[in-house]
Amino acid sequence: MNPSRPSPQEQQALSEKLEQANRQLMQSEKLAAIGQLAAGVAHEINNPVGYVYSNLQSLEAYLNDLFRLTEAVDSAQSLDDLRLIKHNIDYDYLREDLKDLLAESREGIERVKVIISAMKDFSHIEEDEFKPADLHRGIETTLNVVNNELKYKAEVIRDFGELPEIECIISQVNQVVMNLLVNAAHAIEDYGRITVRTRSTGHQVAIEVEDTGTGISREHLNRIFDPFFTTKPIGKGTGLGLSLSFSIVEKHNGRIEADSQPGQGTCFRVTLPVRQPEKNSHE
Amino acid sequence: MTRILLLDDEANILNSLKRLLKPQGWQVDTFTRVDNALQALLEHEYAAILSDYQMPTADGVTYLQFAKQKQPDAIRMVLSAYGDRASMIKAINQAEVYRYLSKPWDDYELVAAVKSAIELYHLHRENQHLREENDRQRAQLKAREEELLRLEAESPGITRVYRDQDGSVLLKNH
Repeated sequence: MNPSRPSPQEQQALSEKLEQANRQLMQSEKLAAIGQLAAGVAHEINNPVGYVYSNLQSLEAYLNDLFRLTEAVDSAQSLDDLRLIKHNIDYDYLREDLKDLLAESREGIERVKVIISAMKDFSHIEEDEFKPADLHRGIETTLNVVNNELKYKAEVIRDFGELPEIECIISQVNQVVMNLLVNAAHAIEDYGRITVRTRSTGHQVAIEVEDTGTGISREHLNRIFDPFFTTKPIGKGTGLGLSLSFSIVEKHNGRIEADSQPGQGTCFRVTLPVRQPEKNSHE
Repeated sequence: MTRILLLDDEANILNSLKRLLKPQGWQVDTFTRVDNALQALLEHEYAAILSDYQMPTADGVTYLQFAKQKQPDAIRMVLSAYGDRASMIKAINQAEVYRYLSKPWDDYELVAAVKSAIELYHLHRENQHLREENDRQRAQLKAREEELLRLEAESPGITRVYRDQDGSVLLKNH
């Protein structure tokens, strides 16, 4: 027997190690991506927190005015005194504005809640089991996380078809979608359009992310899935996004393809099976 | 009445700022769109302008640069949810902003900043007004001096009057 050839046990150990290294790489890419998004997410949260906080202080001032009125009920000499106070605190304005103040603040908190829960959905580490999942929900979550990267660059169009639940690791599929969305936004120079399309064809579903960006040149197109290949400036991309997307899709027994016209835009299509094939016992 | 302009792509931000500034009694014009805020610069004179940094159609610095061209006296400020160095440097160097405030803001700090911007605006205006007044008076003075010199050249001694102790005019040529 050739001594350099590893024994089955060693081989098993090596492939387990490789698998573990791959998992770590994927997790670190996810964290890197979240890190890059963090500034944007902070912006998304700072806006609502800003006005809700300020509104609370206005509310305090309003309540102080209202208490002045209610407390005067006991001390006022006549109804006219009360009317005067009511007039002085601009009661009608206060009454109208209180409704808006509360509605707007509720809206702000609601937005923070959505962003936080999207981040949470997104960064799930523990689940790496195939489970039936709603892809549209996953896409919406992802859009919420990357909203700040997109909204100044493009109008996002949702062209969703009817999709069955598909058997997948949704947090990983979300990561693929996030990569495609962020890439699409980076490809757009001024302001463009990003279309997210979903279609179902019986046993398969397809997710497409299409942008009106600069496109990918022919010589780059066959390298985009290579690890560490990037044309982005330092600090903007790790060069791992598409490579990991590729391995995630492969793990799901799907396909990922890119179609690009330089100067007109790029369309990425991810095709995934609805059901994962039964694992062969001798694999 | 002191008029100020607020620009932010988010209406809820503008509403909360309006609530906050209402007790000050200023006329507060709010805009969610850059083009409308540009138009407003042609219609009214503003003491202070507070703009968001990042908006979908144009960034706040570009808007403030335009405002600087149109209304150089209006004091410019940025209210941004990004606190990064690059955006601050751009705001200071390109739009020459008076304050860079961040979201979420502190109510007291924001009101104080707007107040002091308005004060600065009035100070500038007063300064300018006084300078014009000064220039006008100086020009007047200069005209009078020239007239005196002209008269003196025409008939030497005519601009000087000599009087004796009881006030009567003396004629003398030396």
